[in-house]
Amino acid sequence: MKYALRRVLQAVVVVLLAYVFTFVVISVLPGDPVTNTLRNPQNGFSEEEIQRIVAYYGLDRPVHEQLWQSLSRFVVGDLGVSLRSGLPVSRLISEVLSSTLVLAASALGVALVLAFAIGFGTQYLPKRYGQGLLRAFPSLFLSVPNFVIGLLLINVFAFQLGLFRVIDSEGGLATLFAAIALGIPVSARIAEVLVANLDHESAEEYASVARSRGLGRTGLLLRHLLKPSSLPVVTVVALAVGELLGGAVITEQIFGRTGIGSLVERSVTTQDLPVLQAVVTLAAIVFVGVNLIADLVYPLLDPRVRLGESRSRPKVEVAA
Amino acid sequence: MAPQDRLTGELLRVEGLTVSYGDHQVVTDVGFSLRRGESLALIGESGSGKSTIARSVLRLLPRGVGRATGTVEFEGQEILSLSERRFRPLRGRRIGFVPQDPGNSLNPVRTIGVQAQEAAALIGEKGPEVVLETFDQVGLDNPRRVYDSYPHQLSGGMLQRVLIGLTVLPRPALIVADEPTSALDVTIQKRILDLLSQLRQDLNISLLLITHDLAIAAERADSLVVLKDGVVQEAGSTASVFSAPSSEYARKLHADVPALNPDRYQHLRDSDRPVGEPPRIEVRGVSKTFTVDGKVLTAVDDVSFSVAPGTTHALVGESGSGKTTTIRLLLGLEEPDSGSITVAGEEVTRRSHASLRSVRRHLQLVYQNPFTSLDPLWTVKRLVGESLDRYRVGDRDERVREALDSVGLSQDLLSRRPTALSGGQRQRVALARALVLRPDVIVLDEPTSALDVSVQAGIVEVMLTLQASLGLTYVFVSHDLALVRQLAHTVSVMRQGRIVESGPVAAVLDNPQEPYTRALVDSIPAGADPVAGGVS
Amino acid sequence: MSAAVALPTVRSFSTRSVPVGVVISFAVVVFVLAWSFLPGFFTSHDPAVGVPADKFQGPSSAHWFGTDHLGRDLFARVVHGSSSSVTSALIAVLIAVVVGGLIGLVAGFVGGWADTVLSRLVDVLLAIPEFLLAVIVVSALGFETINVAIATGVSAVGVFARVMRSEVLKTRRAVFVEASYLQGGARWHILTRHVLPNASRSVFTLAVLQFGFAILIIAGLAFLGYGDPPPASDWGLLVSVGKNYPLAPWLVYAPALVMIATVLSVNRISRWLRKTD
Repeated sequence: MKYALRRVLQAVVVVLLAYVFTFVVISVLPGDPVTNTLRNPQNGFSEEEIQRIVAYYGLDRPVHEQLWQSLSRFVVGDLGVSLRSGLPVSRLISEVLSSTLVLAASALGVALVLAFAIGFGTQYLPKRYGQGLLRAFPSLFLSVPNFVIGLLLINVFAFQLGLFRVIDSEGGLATLFAAIALGIPVSARIAEVLVANLDHESAEEYASVARSRGLGRTGLLLRHLLKPSSLPVVTVVALAVGELLGGAVITEQIFGRTGIGSLVERSVTTQDLPVLQAVVTLAAIVFVGVNLIADLVYPLLDPRVRLGESRSRPKVEVAA
Repeated sequence: MAPQDRLTGELLRVEGLTVSYGDHQVVTDVGFSLRRGESLALIGESGSGKSTIARSVLRLLPRGVGRATGTVEFEGQEILSLSERRFRPLRGRRIGFVPQDPGNSLNPVRTIGVQAQEAAALIGEKGPEVVLETFDQVGLDNPRRVYDSYPHQLSGGMLQRVLIGLTVLPRPALIVADEPTSALDVTIQKRILDLLSQLRQDLNISLLLITHDLAIAAERADSLVVLKDGVVQEAGSTASVFSAPSSEYARKLHADVPALNPDRYQHLRDSDRPVGEPPRIEVRGVSKTFTVDGKVLTAVDDVSFSVAPGTTHALVGESGSGKTTTIRLLLGLEEPDSGSITVAGEEVTRRSHASLRSVRRHLQLVYQNPFTSLDPLWTVKRLVGESLDRYRVGDRDERVREALDSVGLSQDLLSRRPTALSGGQRQRVALARALVLRPDVIVLDEPTSALDVSVQAGIVEVMLTLQASLGLTYVFVSHDLALVRQLAHTVSVMRQGRIVESGPVAAVLDNPQEPYTRALVDSIPAGADPVAGGVS
Repeated sequence: MSAAVALPTVRSFSTRSVPVGVVISFAVVVFVLAWSFLPGFFTSHDPAVGVPADKFQGPSSAHWFGTDHLGRDLFARVVHGSSSSVTSALIAVLIAVVVGGLIGLVAGFVGGWADTVLSRLVDVLLAIPEFLLAVIVVSALGFETINVAIATGVSAVGVFARVMRSEVLKTRRAVFVEASYLQGGARWHILTRHVLPNASRSVFTLAVLQFGFAILIIAGLAFLGYGDPPPASDWGLLVSVGKNYPLAPWLVYAPALVMIATVLSVNRISRWLRKTD
């Protein structure tokens, strides 16, 4: 329990530091957000509103004071106000959050299904036929830019087969294809680890001993190899959460979806710093939270690991 | 089948067995046969193909890599050519397997019970009763607890009992045991072998025993097959092969086993040495505790011994006895909580790093595992010469060459990296590295336990020759009493951090006073002929 | 005890030939590197100026990758684009290796207080998704290709720091390091002669792998328009512009395939290096 408490505390510290880090990075911005965004006639702010926002962020004061002000607001859950629309950032985010969550969850589902299909396939297909091809998939998936996968899917399934329309992009099929585009690179990471671990575990002595007790291929796979090979997948999935959130920026853009990713893209173009700051911090919270849960839950899954010991990393190290 | 035939007929016949991994042929034209109820040992060092033969009989060669040709006949049926589907019913039911390292042989993330059920299912049993009964039969104290445990919660000896239990549970006709005790402590080795022998008799099971240990083989098997590089060197009844080996290799193997030749190095060991000099090493009342997870563990408890110049003192004990911690204290790698240690009159304990450095010059260490103690990126020349550079000793190349010479390594190896050397060569490099500064004292931490007996014999010979010519003082850590008997002058037997018995090696080992020492001595396999055993 | 440890012997040292796939991969990478350093040597077409009459021509012997909406030769644009795409990736990897490696080395070797502080910094770098981190850094620095390279490098610093730290810790605990200490090796000697060379091996393999990923991230940022604007011809930008002309699919596929081939080759080499370690 003491360990869990310490880990939670550590996670909170990391999130706060992430907030500060993002603030520092963004404050190096060469442009002046006040003149760029607030006084841009396109955005139609009145002089009064501008004064209110400048006062709110302390934009006329030194950077460290701005940071302190911003941080003390963040600690009580206030994410600030968008420079562009004048709306609270939390409202902007909550409007689009569910769309991205659905996309990311579906992408993770796609990735897991693909990865386990590849993993099982390598155990069943004969070495000479099919297995080599299957083993090449993760490497191929990792080498294709996700926007190319997206464009390819749109070209084939939307333009040529007419299965979905990019304009009306929140439908089931459109979401599925977006999830495939986002999930394929993630599936590669999971599959790489899974295949390597299945190979590793099936070469372990206990697998031979289990076979000497008369177990067949399926019995061996399901009773013995699957669990130890899947445990490291927990770690990989937790790490892949970041990739899903980052990849959403591109995937949402090409599939014409509104979500966190497209919010980021828009905010970058309009230099809407409070929104960027909030989204990046949110992503860090999600990432740290998921990894915290993985750390705390892992000992329940793996009898060898007690709480407080490090999780068993993938046997074959794949660059995070 | 007539009951008479069932009891005495030929059970397993191997003929012209050849196995290759890819282009690499590891077993060539091997043949032997085993009758019902009898036992046969395949003996060989690493690379002899003995385990490969065992796996061919079980058809457990790595999938798609290993290829076996020839004939393996089991209960009158050719099994090499059987389809996997037809062969599988034999595994476990008719042919059982006891693996080498019990720690790796059970699935670490499933309970023992789940895995035991697989064996029970072979004879159509569902509930845990038959498993618990078997666990009781193999001498596990609390079967229910074992059943619910995960493998990492049990000791190696208990796991091997579990594995033996699972193997005999379906009452197979044949058990293939691949080095069943080599990963276990010596006292446990004997108990496990006794258990196997007894079960074999009670249940009339044949045994195919794979081992590197000639003494164990001779003690436990009716007939022997000696292998080298995948080729049979000699085969026959234990009595004939063991007491009158006809092949060169079997003779050499016999000569290299410490347990069978306790006095092999007597001439080197008992050479002249100065008398009446003060001890080179003095350890007085040393204790050391560690704190792990808030618990205080006493690793070394009031340990004292002294070593005369030019002699070898052996520290003997099983894993966890504190012998490794003792030598780490001796080398100044750990600070003792109390007590004092002097080497060549100089205090080792409570010294600064810089002054310790001057003591270390005369005090060297050879590690147990030569695969981890040499930097894989360095060449032999750099490895051996490292300390010369550190201590700024001149004529470096000359002394490196000299050191290599003295351990019997060729100069051709100077530019090689450790990965291009065999285990024995690596350990000789480590020995050369220890010698190059011309120290007085060398501490050897199980220097041969990772090596084959013939390689071990070569290194022991080098060690003792150097001792005789240079007057070196050795502290030799080992779990192998037979080896200690061969080379040491004095011995301390350690258990749970304390020295339970110590004295001249002959006195302690030939006439042990403490029950623990006696147990250790008794666990030395004596071989077939009690006269040759000598020790017990 | 004996046989288990003695098994891995000289076997793996036999002269093993390099697999065909790796040879091809090396060839591809060498080719692409040559493109990026000497683009003029491989194509005589001007990447920025086109012949309007020749616009939207499919791949042919005159224009291997076809032409774009302004009649520019796409092959010339891909070759010249590689010079900024590949160079950017190299810069990114360099930044990640040097900065990340240094952080990891200090954290792992000095330990204590320095380790605590640096490890929290690395935690922060790892907590922000790589691509998002690159996006905010580039938006802070300004939309230019060199900034894209820097941003990509910064986003990978955390990974390198973590790997370097764990490798240093692992090597520091190695028996051969203690052996060197017993041979009279001082701290600095052990660090530079034993720890660093051994730890660097995995970092080098990771650097090769990261080179491939950097190409993808840089392409992604260019695709979003965060690099130099047209007529620059970064691979990601070519795809981004090409997607507007569905009737000329080669505008997307040609640069995409070059990119995939390059990254695939880099990954293959990295995997081979990891195996031969």
